[in-house]
Amino acid sequence: MAQLNCIVVTPEETAVDEQTDFVALPLYDGELGIAPGHSPLIGRLGYGEMRIRSGGNVQRFYVDGGFVQVDENVVSVLTNRAVPAGKLDASEAAELLAAAQKKPATSPELEEIRDKAVVQARAQLHVAKRA
Amino acid sequence: MANARALDKRRKSVRNIRKITRTMELIATARFKKAMDRATAATAYTGRITQVVSDLAQAGLQVSHPLLEARESKENALLLVLTANRGLCGGYNGSIVRLAIPHLTNLRNEYGRVALEVSGKRGINALGFRGLEADESYLHFEDQPKFVEVEEIADRYLEDFASGRLDRLDVVYTRFVSISRQVATVETLLPIGSLDGTDDDPKAKPGDAAKDAGGAAGDGDSMYEFLPSAESILEEVVPASFRVKLFKCFLDAAVSEQIARMVAMKSATENAGEMIKQLSMTYNRARQSQITGEIMEIIGGVEALG
Repeated sequence: MAQLNCIVVTPEETAVDEQTDFVALPLYDGELGIAPGHSPLIGRLGYGEMRIRSGGNVQRFYVDGGFVQVDENVVSVLTNRAVPAGKLDASEAAELLAAAQKKPATSPELEEIRDKAVVQARAQLHVAKRA
Repeated sequence: MANARALDKRRKSVRNIRKITRTMELIATARFKKAMDRATAATAYTGRITQVVSDLAQAGLQVSHPLLEARESKENALLLVLTANRGLCGGYNGSIVRLAIPHLTNLRNEYGRVALEVSGKRGINALGFRGLEADESYLHFEDQPKFVEVEEIADRYLEDFASGRLDRLDVVYTRFVSISRQVATVETLLPIGSLDGTDDDPKAKPGDAAKDAGGAAGDGDSMYEFLPSAESILEEVVPASFRVKLFKCFLDAAVSEQIARMVAMKSATENAGEMIKQLSMTYNRARQSQITGEIMEIIGGVEALG
């Protein structure tokens, strides 16, 4: 069976570069599953959990926004951060969330920034709790 | 003739210095390799961003974004200067400061308010000495700048730019061309001139690609499906490419610093070796002439007795 070549790059490193059977990604509005033979696609990522399945093995990462490009069974994920779920700390994420919620939201721009921080922290917490 | 003992002492201290410079050279080499690896990893990211942009352009999308447009107003500018925290790296910091000062003067003539931000103790001190106090200074960037830290700064700039508190952002840093060539350069990061990553690949200009695609855009055919839409992705790509550009500046500066230190320490070690040779020669001569002198004295004494 055809396999997907999944490449995850962050500005600091190439986090993943391997053959996989299935990749699930958090898009801006919900999860997207990519199996081999998927049509070409460029999508905007949100914050959340990325799962990479190869064989019976599932790797889980927290991804922090970015893009995904699918073409000819190559899935390239561009993200600011890709943290293995095991390395996330739930209590730390909870603190982040609390800090994000305390941010001022006195103007539309500030509100937007706060909302983004809250969503980001929530996603982290969610991934950390599942680990 | 110089005192043999003093010469010996001096030779010993030069030897110690050589040991130190040699070690520093080795450390710089190791750090350079690490920094270089990180810089290469970042290139993978910029390459892919460029790829996405050109795919967007092929979809017939006009590449336009507030961050790409030059501003009419010339109110606020910002100059970011990237130097090292430590010295002993040859002309690295000096050439940056020499480039930054005239550029700052030019900007001040052109813009109403120019903020100065400096990273690195050396640059802060050198500019402070010339009466140019930094509005903001960073000391935490060493040989491996973290993306999270750079992102923080980048986001602040983006925010300022979006809200009109910033019209132009220039960065003075040492650009890494090759291992044997690094140049101190000034680059305008905001507004972003073009989206072609950080590589100076002239053929990869998305602006041109957009024009080419402009002709083909009539059919609007693209093999990609865009989620949610090409515009929305572009909106996200531009800031991402700015962030990674700024990050690349920090990485380049870090790599160049290590190379500069490596080269400086290498020549210091070589100089010390040469000096030791010279000193050894003078020392041997001084010792020989001392012995000859002593023998002459003995012979003279014996002759006087006989």
